[in-house]
Amino acid sequence: MRNFFTDSNQQYYHERNQYTIEKLPDKVLRDIFQYLSPKQINQVGLVCKKWRVISQNPLLWKFVSFRPNYGGIQVNPQCIDFFIQLIGARFSELRIVELATDLITPNVLYELANKAPKLQYLTLDFSTAMQLHDFTDLQSFPSRLKSLTLCLSENIFLEGFLRKVYTFISSVETLHIIGTYEKVEDEEEEVYETVNVFKLKQFLPNLRVVNLWGVPFITDEHVDAISSNCAHLECLCINYCPKVTGSCLKLVLQRCRKLKTLFLAHTKLDNNVVKMVDWEKTRIEELDIKGTELNSEALISILTRLPHLRWLDASWLENMTDQVLEAWQNSNAMGSLQFLNMDTCDSLNEQALVDMIKRHGHQFHGLCLGGQHKLLEYFWMNMIPQLRNIRVMVMGIAEDCCPKVVAKIHVDQFIDCIAQNCPRLTRLEVRWDDETLRFSDKSSKFIDVLRMKCLMLHSIVLSDGQYYELVRSNFERADRMSVVRTTEMCRTGLLHCSRYFNQLLFN
Amino acid sequence: MTETAAAERNIKISSSDNEVFMVPRNVIRLSTTINTLLQDLGLDEDDSTNPEPIPVQNVTAPILKKVIAWCQYHYQDAAPTDDSDNREKRTDDIASWDVEFLKVDQGTLFELILAANYLDIKGLLDVTCKTVANMIKGKSPEEIRRTFNIKNDFTPEEEEQIRKENAWCED
Repeated sequence: MRNFFTDSNQQYYHERNQYTIEKLPDKVLRDIFQYLSPKQINQVGLVCKKWRVISQNPLLWKFVSFRPNYGGIQVNPQCIDFFIQLIGARFSELRIVELATDLITPNVLYELANKAPKLQYLTLDFSTAMQLHDFTDLQSFPSRLKSLTLCLSENIFLEGFLRKVYTFISSVETLHIIGTYEKVEDEEEEVYETVNVFKLKQFLPNLRVVNLWGVPFITDEHVDAISSNCAHLECLCINYCPKVTGSCLKLVLQRCRKLKTLFLAHTKLDNNVVKMVDWEKTRIEELDIKGTELNSEALISILTRLPHLRWLDASWLENMTDQVLEAWQNSNAMGSLQFLNMDTCDSLNEQALVDMIKRHGHQFHGLCLGGQHKLLEYFWMNMIPQLRNIRVMVMGIAEDCCPKVVAKIHVDQFIDCIAQNCPRLTRLEVRWDDETLRFSDKSSKFIDVLRMKCLMLHSIVLSDGQYYELVRSNFERADRMSVVRTTEMCRTGLLHCSRYFNQLLFN
Repeated sequence: MTETAAAERNIKISSSDNEVFMVPRNVIRLSTTINTLLQDLGLDEDDSTNPEPIPVQNVTAPILKKVIAWCQYHYQDAAPTDDSDNREKRTDDIASWDVEFLKVDQGTLFELILAANYLDIKGLLDVTCKTVANMIKGKSPEEIRRTFNIKNDFTPEEEEQIRKENAWCED
C-alpha cells in the first residue's frame, strides 16, 4: 500500500514537473518580461538563446530611460553609433523615451523621428549639460509627440536648439518645463531665461496640461502668454515658480474655460490679486496652494467661491485658521470635496476640525492631517469612525518637529479603530515615533486585524523604530512585501489622487 | 430573457481529462475565450444550461478547478485596464488573496499561466506573470537559470560575442 502511494506520487510529481518555464510560449514569456526594467531585460537576455531572442523584441522596449541619474541606462560614449543602429531594430516600438544631454544629438533625434513612429512621450534632459551639440544639421524631429519634457540647466540657452524643433511639435498636449529650483542655492545669483516661453507657446496650440516646475525665471507674464494660445488648457501647474504672484490668474481663468486643475504651491501669491479673480465663474476642481503666504481673508475669498472643489492641498499654510475653515463650511462650497491636505497648518484647532469631519467626514477619500501637534489619540479615536470612505489617511507628528508631544498614543486601539471603520483604506501614514507610541508584544494581534480587514491597504508609512519593525515583519510574514516603509524613505500625499497625476509625472 | 436569469445560469465545461464543471455564466465571463464562444454559438439566447459541456482542451481538472476558484473570487472586480502604455509596471501590487492563491509549486504556476493564456483570462494571466517576474527580479542570469532549471545553451564563443554586443550600455 505504502509503495503504491509513493510510486503514484512520484509519477504524479514527474508529470507535473514537465511544466517548466521552458514550456511557456514566447508570447507568455514576453508578458512576464514586460514587468521587468530595461536593465533586467538585458539580464534575462543572457540566460539562454530563446530568452535572448525574446528579450530583444521591440515590444519589450516601449519605455526606456537613458537618464542614468534617474536609474536609466547609461549608453557607453564609445558605442553611440551602435546605439543609433539599435534605434531602428530594438527601439522601433518606443512610446516613451528619456534622453540625457549626451544623447541629444541630431543623429539620435533623426533616427527616433524616422524609426520610432509610435514615440509619443519625449524627455530631453539638459540639466547636466555643459554645452549643447551642434544642431545646425538637425533636419528631423519626432513629430507625433503627445508629451514633451524639457529639463533645463541653469545657464545653457536652448533657443538655438528649439528653433530647429518648433515646427515639429504642434501635436504636443502635455508640456513640462522642469527648472533648477532644487539647485538654486544663492538667491542673489543671476537667473537666466534659458527658454523663450513667448516663442515656444506659439507652436503649441494644443496644450492640455502645462507643468512649469521650479522654473526660477517664470513670471506671471509667461503664464499669461501661454494661456493666450491654449484654449484647451485643463491643468496648469506652476509649483515652485517663486516669481509668480498670481496677477495672471484672472485673465488665464477667463481665457481657459476648461481649466480644472490649478497647482500653485510655493508661489508668491498676492492676497489682493487672488481676491480679484472671479473664482465662482471657474470650473476649478483641484487646487494646490501649499506653502503660500496667503492671509486668512484671501483664503476665505478663494475657498468660499469654488463650489466644484474636489481636491485641495492647503498644507503648510500659517493663516489657515479656524475662521477660514468655518467660513468655508458655511459657504456650502465643501460639498464636492473628497481630498484634503492640511498638513502642518499650525493655526488650526481641534474643535474646528472636529466640526468639519462630523459634517463632511463621510465624503472624504483622502485626508492628510499630519504635522499637527494638537491632534492626538482622543481626536482620531472619535474621528476615524466618521471616515468610512477614506482611502488615504495621514496623521501624527515626529518627535523632532519642535512642540513636544507629551501625551502618549496607545497605538493598538488606534489600529483596531482603523481596521474596524475604514475598509477601503489603501494608504496609511502614522508619523509619531517610538517615544510617543505605546505598544507591546500584543500589538501584533491588532496589526493582524488591520492586515485582514483592510485588504486594499498597500502602503503603510511609519516612523523608523521598533514599532515599524513590528508592523513590517508582520506584513512580510504574510507575504505582503514592500507595504510597510519608514517616513525617511517615503511620504504619503494626495497627489496621486489628482485627475492629472499621470500626466504630471516627469521623473 | 432577463439580465438576472442570464447571470444565474450555469455553464458546463469539461477539462482535458473529461471532468465536468458547472460554472455560473457571469463567472465564466472572465474567460474571453469561452465568453466569445458562447456568444458566437448563440448559446446566450437560451437560459438553460448547455447540454454538451464546452471542452477546455489542454487544461487538466485540478488546474481548471483552481482557475474556476480564481474566477469565482474575482468575477465582480472591475475589468482590468489596459496599461500597456504606462511607464513602469508594478509587480508589488498583487492582492493578498492572490498571493495566497499562488503559493503553489512552479509546475502548477506554469500550468495556471498556460490555462489563463488559453482561456484568455487577463486578470489571472497578469497576476501569474507578475508572480514569475518577481521571481526573476534582482537575480543574475546564473541565479535565474538555477531558479527555473534552465540550461545555459550558449557556447563560450557566443557568450563572448554577446558581451561585445552588450558593451553599448554600461551597468
